[in-house]
Amino acid sequence: MTDISLKVNLGGLVMKNPVTVASGTFGYGIEYDHYFKVSELGAVTVKSLSLKPRPGNKPPRISETPAGLLNAIGLQNVGIEVYLKEKLPLLREKNCTIIANIYGFSPEEYAELAQRLEKEGGADAIEANLSCPNVHDAKASCGPALVAQSPESVAEYTRIIRSATSLPLYIKLSPNVADIREPALAAQEGGADAVALINTLLGMNIDVETRRPCLRNLVGGLSGPAIRPVAVKMVWDAARVLSIPVLGMGGISSPEDAIQFLLAGATAVAVGSATFRRPDAALQIVKGLHDYCARQGIDDIRQLIGALES
Amino acid sequence: MTHLLDCTVLSNAEVAPEHRRMILRGEAIARDTQPGQFCMLESNPGLIPFLRRPMSIERSEEDRFSVLYKIVGEGTRLLSKIQPGDTVNVQGPLGKGFPIQPGYERHILVGGGIGIAPLPGLAEALIRQNIATPEVLLAARSRDMLLCEEDFKSLGCSVLLTTDDGSAGMKAFAADALREMKPHEKTVVYVCGPMIMMATVHRLCMETGSLCLASLEAHMACGDSVCMGCVVETTFEEEFRRMVRVCHDGPVFDSRHINWNAGAPVS
Ligand SMILES: Cc1cc2nc3c(=O)[nH]c(=O)nc-3n(C[C@H](O)[C@H](O)[C@H](O)COP(=O)(O)OP(=O)(O)OC[C@H]3O[C@@H](n4cnc5c(N)ncnc54)[C@H](O)[C@@H]3O)c2cc1C
Ligand SMILES: Cc1cc2nc3c(=O)[nH]c(=O)nc-3n(C[C@H](O)[C@H](O)[C@H](O)COP(=O)(O)O)c2cc1C
Ligand code: FES
Repeated sequence: MTDISLKVNLGGLVMKNPVTVASGTFGYGIEYDHYFKVSELGAVTVKSLSLKPRPGNKPPRISETPAGLLNAIGLQNVGIEVYLKEKLPLLREKNCTIIANIYGFSPEEYAELAQRLEKEGGADAIEANLSCPNVHDAKASCGPALVAQSPESVAEYTRIIRSATSLPLYIKLSPNVADIREPALAAQEGGADAVALINTLLGMNIDVETRRPCLRNLVGGLSGPAIRPVAVKMVWDAARVLSIPVLGMGGISSPEDAIQFLLAGATAVAVGSATFRRPDAALQIVKGLHDYCARQGIDDIRQLIGALES
Repeated sequence: MTHLLDCTVLSNAEVAPEHRRMILRGEAIARDTQPGQFCMLESNPGLIPFLRRPMSIERSEEDRFSVLYKIVGEGTRLLSKIQPGDTVNVQGPLGKGFPIQPGYERHILVGGGIGIAPLPGLAEALIRQNIATPEVLLAARSRDMLLCEEDFKSLGCSVLLTTDDGSAGMKAFAADALREMKPHEKTVVYVCGPMIMMATVHRLCMETGSLCLASLEAHMACGDSVCMGCVVETTFEEEFRRMVRVCHDGPVFDSRHINWNAGAPVS
């Protein structure tokens, strides 16, 4: 049984297997090439890129929680120029399939980022992060307002980014909504080729000795195995109403976790925080998917997508 | 070169109340470690705690290396339960250690509490490379919390002790004791300990014109450059250098580059 195909097509991007890494958990994709050949992944997804470099939030930025962590990085990144000049050539040299995640402060900024990436060959697909919980001042309001929380804004942003690029376009959505189907459908209407979900869940951790929040930003985004059941449910909800594919993520740390997402309807998956525990977690999941298919007598992984029995 | 290795625990013995030394066999890590580098230890096989624990590498020799740790929470408690013969997955060595600086007359190592951890390996390297036999200042809460005193003495280092309660050595803060040692322009001070102690040692070194190399801590997720979680604030003007990663740019920094007024990166 060597002839197992793990190949999938994620909204126009052909991936040799359905596994990528989650933006922000794998740097610019090349850092871990000494732990394993990163080009073995279906794609690498880079940290959110903005037009200008960003220093990010003040520390502490990380607080561990049961089976997960809160982060409030605040999108510290090198900016598009340095990415194109210094990171991209290394990714290309290693033959990686690249999903470039972008963040802007207006639809026009997203469009400019997408346009530049396409023009300079900086990406094979674009993932627009409309759902970062950490770039607003939590003290300013009762909670940060995300583009991804308003279906109208999602549709508008998607349309504008869509008109700026012909690369496969994924819209990354937030779980901090009452009904994930609304922003997912809005992204589809706006012309997205896929939706990516979920970003982190807003959360808080308090040090009872000092009575202070553990994060300087007060609140942060929860990730890791703790959020997996929430993420699987949201993928399942979204996949049933969409005609475009879903890139599923949230707490995946084993091949079995990844298969749950496929069964719930995801076409591909991203491995995030699990990399912090095991730098080669994503590659181990690719191998595990292969073993699972062999064990179950499946010769094409696509047979698993949305194959939930109920 | 960083490795990801299953290491066999050779011993895990108490060295002071709530303090242990774990010796691990892991040849590649032992071979590639420079003084001041650290590793990420998996404290447990399950998902809680989820993250690895950063620990300085105390010493490395042939096929083995040691970590010296204080039990403070769940992860270190689980580490303390590990038995000789068990296996621990270790990622390391990580970060940039102490730059070994020739051209200085005096080398003073200042360790506060468990902050002593990276200093024995540094003392050995300074001696082995014929740079100097360092002077050592050990600060702790009380006599039974003083670590590694005999280890430094057997290397030939002069050791000055200070305790908060006066139960051994001087009853003084580390920076005050350091002032008595009269560091000067041709002195390098290597310091690791609580943030507040390092800040006062830094300020003293600015007064005396000494070079101060500080080993910092920060909460870490990946421990190896990809998450941007472990930053400290610097004194650099340029926006892209305002936050530096403890795991990647450090943990050892020239103290002049750190913004000591920014508040602790470790809560
Ligand atoms: C580069 C570096 C080197 C270190 N070297 C040593 C050493 O040699 N010996 C030693 O005893 N300790 C060392 N520490 C501190 C050590 O990592 C923490 O004491 C340990 O992670 C606490 O884990 P816990 O589960 O027992 O405590 P908890 O307080 O329950 O931990 C909760 C979370 O906070 C993190 N955390 C808590 N305290 C610290 C801290 N001081 N620094 C960073 N993260 C923290 C933990 O990793 C965990 O994610 C070092 C830290 C860093 C960053
Ligand atoms: C430290 C950290 C940084 C992140 N940075 C980004 C980011 O820059 N852009 C983005 O779209 N998502 C970011 N995320 C969210 C992840 O891509 C992912 O959606 C989320 O963590 C859920 O997956 P996981 O549980 O597998 O980590 C970040 C997550 C973490 C933990
Ligand atoms: S701990 Fe992840 S970048 Fe330093």
